[in-house]
Amino acid sequence: MQLSEEQLRAWMTGGLDGDAAAHIALLRALAPMLRNFYRRRLRGAEDDIEDLVQETLIAVHTRRASYDRDRPFVAWLYAIARYRMIDHLRRQRVSVPVEALDEILVSEGFEDAASARVDVARLLAGLSPKQARAIRDTHIEGLSIAEAAAAARIGESDVKISVHRGMKALAARIRGVRP
Amino acid sequence: MNTDDLIRTLGTDVPPVRRGTLRRRILGGIVGGGLVSLLLIGWTLGFRPDLWIAMHGFAFWMKWIYTASISLIAIAVTIRLARPDAAPSRLLWLLLVPILLLAGLGIGELAQKPARDWLAMWLGGSWKLCPWLVLMLSMPIFIGLLWSFRRLAPTRLRATGAAAGLAAGASAATLYCFHCDEVSALFVLTWYSLGILLAAGVGALVGPRFLRW
Repeated sequence: MQLSEEQLRAWMTGGLDGDAAAHIALLRALAPMLRNFYRRRLRGAEDDIEDLVQETLIAVHTRRASYDRDRPFVAWLYAIARYRMIDHLRRQRVSVPVEALDEILVSEGFEDAASARVDVARLLAGLSPKQARAIRDTHIEGLSIAEAAAAARIGESDVKISVHRGMKALAARIRGVRP
Repeated sequence: MNTDDLIRTLGTDVPPVRRGTLRRRILGGIVGGGLVSLLLIGWTLGFRPDLWIAMHGFAFWMKWIYTASISLIAIAVTIRLARPDAAPSRLLWLLLVPILLLAGLGIGELAQKPARDWLAMWLGGSWKLCPWLVLMLSMPIFIGLLWSFRRLAPTRLRATGAAAGLAAGASAATLYCFHCDEVSALFVLTWYSLGILLAAGVGALVGPRFLRW
């Protein structure tokens, strides 16, 4: 399951505030993400990949002062993962082109993380809470209508109407901003 | 060690990290190194005897503001580069402001003095030493910054080394003002800047080696 930027960032901030449980939850969630990340890019031995995962987790732990709470967490994470991979390749004296951070965020499914999320959050803030939640659940978190309805404890048709009206309001607002 | 055990071990040591820790760490490295440089000036070069009087004059502040502003810009760039997802910084363009201002003052100087005095003004009494002293005094500050980076995550090591060298060089030059009694804007523009650039060059050279993690 793909964890959301919000969840990871919440754990990270918790850890930064000294909450060990949040920090452990974060590292546990990151381990499979990093494993996938390295597996997809290095067709090396599993041992190498696990070493890289561990090195990256240690870096996330010891260098967490380099994370800015106001910036996307996954961009920070994959920047560290990318650096560890380049360092690993250098040690092995192989030269393989490594994608830029932006491309990594897209291929790992966090294309919104860098820029879009901030804007979407700002736009959604102008809607009624019900509409904003319906749109966030169905269009950003990727829940189905039924899941979103269950989560918000409202009817499915209510979710559909909220999404529809919310989208209309957003469209009107965007048109107003950029005529 | 398997990964779960590692995570459990890491989880036993989670001290809070306050907002602004990165900035404080970089500044801590600079101030710590700067104190050593200041002691070095006191022991080996000596503060200029007329420091107090000079601080009431224009030349001292011209030099000091020139080097201090470069130092501040370089520190800001260094702080950005300490984050792994640092984007290329446009802040460096700001360096043009102090450089052009000082160049303007230098042209004013040339206009005021006859051409036969130009060379003496430009070379001053210490042009051979000044860049090297600035470079030497920048080393403790650069080492201080290397300490700062031990818990930070630069990923563009050469650029980070250069920025840290620039910050160390400009900070060292700012302290060197307490020793140096040169008064010409052209002197500062050339020889101070050369010392600062040397420090940045050394930083760029050794950055990939010493900042690696």
